[in-house]
Amino acid sequence: MTTETVSPETAPAEKAARATFRPNVDITDFGTEVVIHADLPGARRDGIDVTFEDGVLSLAADVPPRDVPGTAIRREYGVGDYRRSFRLGEGFDASRITADYRDGVLTMKVPRLAAVLPRKISVTAG
Amino acid sequence: MSLIPFRTKRASGMEPGSLATLTDFRNEMNRLFEGFFSRPLEPMPAWFPPAFGGPWLPAIDVSETDTLVRVRCELPGVDPKDVDVSVSEDRLVIAGEKKSAAETTTDGMTHREAHYGSFSRAIPLPEAVDPAKVSAKYDKGVLIVEMTKSPSGTSRKIPVQAA
Repeated sequence: MTTETVSPETAPAEKAARATFRPNVDITDFGTEVVIHADLPGARRDGIDVTFEDGVLSLAADVPPRDVPGTAIRREYGVGDYRRSFRLGEGFDASRITADYRDGVLTMKVPRLAAVLPRKISVTAG
Repeated sequence: MSLIPFRTKRASGMEPGSLATLTDFRNEMNRLFEGFFSRPLEPMPAWFPPAFGGPWLPAIDVSETDTLVRVRCELPGVDPKDVDVSVSEDRLVIAGEKKSAAETTTDGMTHREAHYGSFSRAIPLPEAVDPAKVSAKYDKGVLIVEMTKSPSGTSRKIPVQAA
């Protein structure tokens, strides 16, 4: 009996052959939450992966290969997957992170834990 | 007394490597400068970060088949309603405006890498196209414009006149 197995060397090599890009991001800290807009033109919504672990928000997006019938005349941008991670640190509520993909832009909202937010204490007269 | 080589083995062994790196570096710089100055219509290369104050020139891809010219343009976060596509026989103009998606904050805690504001690019076409047969589609942040080559343009003969 013979079983065909993909050798561990070939799989990562094929993956490495595709370029990976660092997407441009805008990050705004609103105090109660951090909002990250990432430019992911061409990415499929199903292929976007957002994870939050140990204070690091990671973003990975698969882009389908460029299917260009005919001859290329000019190529100014590469086509490949997007990868980027951000060290946000402690004090964020992983369960309430939202990610929304629209017009090639992924908007991630990472709320801070209520416990770390400054609390206003009302003064009562005794 | 014995002659001591000026270069130690280790240093001479490193020499080709460091020289190659320097040559690579110089070639890279030359390439950058050539690209920078050979395109007078594009004052800044498209990859220039917005922090450098370069105008936004969206990156494009141009390809052709026997009958079509296809231009793809990366426009993440641009509302398709804000994009103007116009075609003349020999050029395509993509213009528009990207409104800032990032809300403004009062404390200014914003890190910005994306491009905002208006953009405009004129793209010379490899062959004459029929301005009536153009389709433009915006999907996942990428604009795709397909133009049909005009039949007269595909094999137009230009008579050479004798002086």
